[in-house]
Amino acid sequence: MPELIAPLAGNVWKVLVAVGDKVELDDEVIILEALKMETPIYCDDAGTITELKVTEGDAVEEGAVLAVIG
Amino acid sequence: MSRKQTPLRPYFEKMPEIGKELRAGEVRRSQANVELVLEQEAIIAKEVVRVKNAGIPAEKIHQRGGMTIYDRLEYLVDEGSWNPLHTLYNPTENVEGCTGVVDGLGKIEGKWAVIIGFDNKVMAGAWIASQSENILMVTDLAKRLNIPLVWLTNCSGVKLTEQETVYAGRRSSGAPFYRHADLNHLGIPILNGIYGTNPAGGGYQGISPTILLAHDDANIAVGGAGIVGGMNPKGYIDEEAAQALIEGTKNFKGKAPGRVETHFDQTAYFREAHDTEEGVLDGIKDYMRMMPAYDPTMFRVAEPAEPKLAVEDLNMLLPANQKRPYDAVQILARLTDNSEFMEYRPDYGREVFTGIAKIDGFPVAFVGNQQGVFPGYPDYANGEYPGVGGKHYREGLIKQGEFVTLCGRDNLPIIWLQDTTGIDVGDLAEEAELLALGQSLVYSIEQTELSMMCVVLRKGTAAAHYIMCGPQANNNNAFTLGTPLTEIYVMHGETAAAASYARRLVKEDAAGNDLTPTLDKMNQMIQDYQDKSTPAYSAKKGFVDEIVSLTELRNYIKAFTCANYQNPKSITPVHQMLLPRIIKG
Repeated sequence: MPELIAPLAGNVWKVLVAVGDKVELDDEVIILEALKMETPIYCDDAGTITELKVTEGDAVEEGAVLAVIG
Repeated sequence: MSRKQTPLRPYFEKMPEIGKELRAGEVRRSQANVELVLEQEAIIAKEVVRVKNAGIPAEKIHQRGGMTIYDRLEYLVDEGSWNPLHTLYNPTENVEGCTGVVDGLGKIEGKWAVIIGFDNKVMAGAWIASQSENILMVTDLAKRLNIPLVWLTNCSGVKLTEQETVYAGRRSSGAPFYRHADLNHLGIPILNGIYGTNPAGGGYQGISPTILLAHDDANIAVGGAGIVGGMNPKGYIDEEAAQALIEGTKNFKGKAPGRVETHFDQTAYFREAHDTEEGVLDGIKDYMRMMPAYDPTMFRVAEPAEPKLAVEDLNMLLPANQKRPYDAVQILARLTDNSEFMEYRPDYGREVFTGIAKIDGFPVAFVGNQQGVFPGYPDYANGEYPGVGGKHYREGLIKQGEFVTLCGRDNLPIIWLQDTTGIDVGDLAEEAELLALGQSLVYSIEQTELSMMCVVLRKGTAAAHYIMCGPQANNNNAFTLGTPLTEIYVMHGETAAAASYARRLVKEDAAGNDLTPTLDKMNQMIQDYQDKSTPAYSAKKGFVDEIVSLTELRNYIKAFTCANYQNPKSITPVHQMLLPRIIKG
């Protein structure tokens, strides 16, 4: 199942979806905040959010799985 | 059989394509960004209308049978070639709402010129505050681009109630006369279409250009006819003096001196006199046909071409949210011919891109900030922190200095695409010599004889705004553009508030005091920074020479490039250029 991966370490600033939401390619799913920048995480595939591994305010490391799309 | 081709065809005919089409999802999620860009454009457009309506209504001029400055420009300038500059410039916040002159880059009879005229709706073209600064920027531009300056003079002289703001000083309204002399000395012709009454300052404005063409109702003179009384020995005006003044004015029958019957028929200062306003403009067109200009074939390295990728995408690609990164190459791909770019040292100094592109078939250089995060970079940070786009590090500064120096050698005009938050700071950065390397870039720019233009795409911040050929590069920067998303300040308001109030917060906190008053001051400072860094404010204060919509940027880049190649002072034979060979390796 496709996973959304954190491209850099930072804090989860916004989670824009909930489990069960349908998403399309290039939809904005999560926004990370790091180094005074917002880094949006986009869907690489269309599908349904089956799992959210983070909540707003969480600190994540580079490479961490943020969400799973089924 | 004869055969012809463009020079160094293997390098320039087909360069690497950059950028990619936007996907449906990218277009969909960018619509909110487009709305924000258009919102800012609407603010600017409203300001432009306000400036165009400054002074008396255009209808009044039309009722008198005259043309406004905007009518004259429309008649004079080749259709679709006008690139206005300094439209909102009004740093002294004149009550007139402008500086009383209108200027820009445009083509007349197919040749580029810097064009400026007095707004005859505004006090009949009076000298008002900041006007001379505006004019000096324009004369500097003609000098930088080595193209003719065209004046539409209609100047009533000093606004006498505010003479102290215009008359005296190093860069006052007399300075343009010296600039005209300087341009003439350098072989840059100034054509002058003269309208209306031009006494004193207006007279020198009339006489100082190279070629003078007058309307039949125009005059230029050392002084006007309106000064009917001299110095009053009493030093003040009493009833008796007032009566004398009234009588003198009533009985004054003289005409304004320096009319066409004097300066065409007697002195022959005027090359031409025309009974219609259009006739004067036709005369300017005739002289423009005589101006030196190479056929573009002389310097083109390929056929002109529009970008392959849509210019309209720019409103989706450049994030209005200043904290959002983006792919700067996607921006560049919407500006260059065929969306092509030959990049110089792409693997070195990743925070900036440098390279050669074509604009309207002419070779030019681009330098700009990359955005995003660069893990493992810069080397000197030893992994303590990652590189961030928009900042400058050691390699990027060295690369820019090198590139600019080579551009100078190859005579490539440079277009800078700034979106910069500054130069890296801290002990590691100092040990990596960033202070000296920043100034080295300034030195490299100054050492060239190149024209450069600067676009502040979003942020122009800290010393990085200076070193990337900001308007402070007086000798090289032809003009600087802002966009609807431009912000220019020494540092972000939040950073400034923290720097200014952090110690006070510590003290108040330690004393157990309410932090609210300090926080209020900090937030006021942040708001103040926001208000004084907007696109409209930047244009009004002269931080930029014009705010241009993203979709119009290429027009200005084309104007800059083509004007540069119209009559260059120095030529590098294309087949002797080094940069394309260095890039190829």
